[in-house]
Amino acid sequence: MALSSFAAAQGLQAVPSVDAGALTPLLVESGAGRIAPAARGQLADGVSGALGQLIYTRNKKFHFAVALTEVPASTPFVPRLFCVRTGRRTRDDEYYGFEPRFSKLWTESTALNERFHISTSPYQDQNWLRQLFSPAFVDWIASKAPPGFSFELAYGSAEVARRIARECEE
Amino acid sequence: MQINRVGIGLLTFFGVFGALFVVVPIALGADLMVTAILALLGVIWMLTAFGLALYARRQRHKAAHQDWIFQNGLKGTATIVEAGSHATVNDMPLMSLQLDLDIPGVGTRQVKRREVMPVFTADRMRPDLVLTAYFNPQDQDDFILVW
Repeated sequence: MALSSFAAAQGLQAVPSVDAGALTPLLVESGAGRIAPAARGQLADGVSGALGQLIYTRNKKFHFAVALTEVPASTPFVPRLFCVRTGRRTRDDEYYGFEPRFSKLWTESTALNERFHISTSPYQDQNWLRQLFSPAFVDWIASKAPPGFSFELAYGSAEVARRIARECEE
Repeated sequence: MQINRVGIGLLTFFGVFGALFVVVPIALGADLMVTAILALLGVIWMLTAFGLALYARRQRHKAAHQDWIFQNGLKGTATIVEAGSHATVNDMPLMSLQLDLDIPGVGTRQVKRREVMPVFTADRMRPDLVLTAYFNPQDQDDFILVW
């Protein structure tokens, strides 16, 4: 289904693009964090934001279907939390030679770690993570999340992405 | 040591190739001038590898110390008063932060701090953002910021 039809069916406003800015690592990869084509509005009860296609080029072109919203209350508890599929390289892996890492892997769930790398600040309060990653949530991500799924929460900006094989029709 | 493949690559490159520059010309019986030049180059490279190893060791100690503060320190807050960047390190902004520290049982005070941060983090360092901080119980000037 073309994004514009989907937006109309869901009561969202279709727009040519949304310039989200450098809010999360995936958006940083794309340069200006441009989601195009895009739709914005009420994504769910009490959740407003934008969704659409994000493309970045790094050796080859990567296409993602992304949804972006704000969860400002999360910042004091979990400033940053990235759930990225195993094997996807991220920038913070590259610029680290001798210095202490900027992030730390959360490895308490074996099932989850088989498919995803969960990373946080190295000084993240583990108690909050254990509360967030409830057994039901872990089970959903580990066994039911679609291929190419990932999410990033950075300073209150939540972005859920799914890598897609080709460009969305518009 | 706090090393990943980039670090290992750097150490190997300078260490191994430095040693080869010294050994190979001697082993092949090369001209004295060529041997001397390559040996000098090799020694410089090996000294570079040695320096990198020392730096890695220092960083490992720093990381261990920060882990200790995280485990044993006082948990407080750091509110950003001012943030700016005029330099980058490996494409990441070197942020100059002015912080209002609030240490439980000790009080509040203002300090300056410089940190290298990824772009998406640096963009969020704006006045009034409250970050968690852990303070060394013996020295409140020694703290880690959770960002």
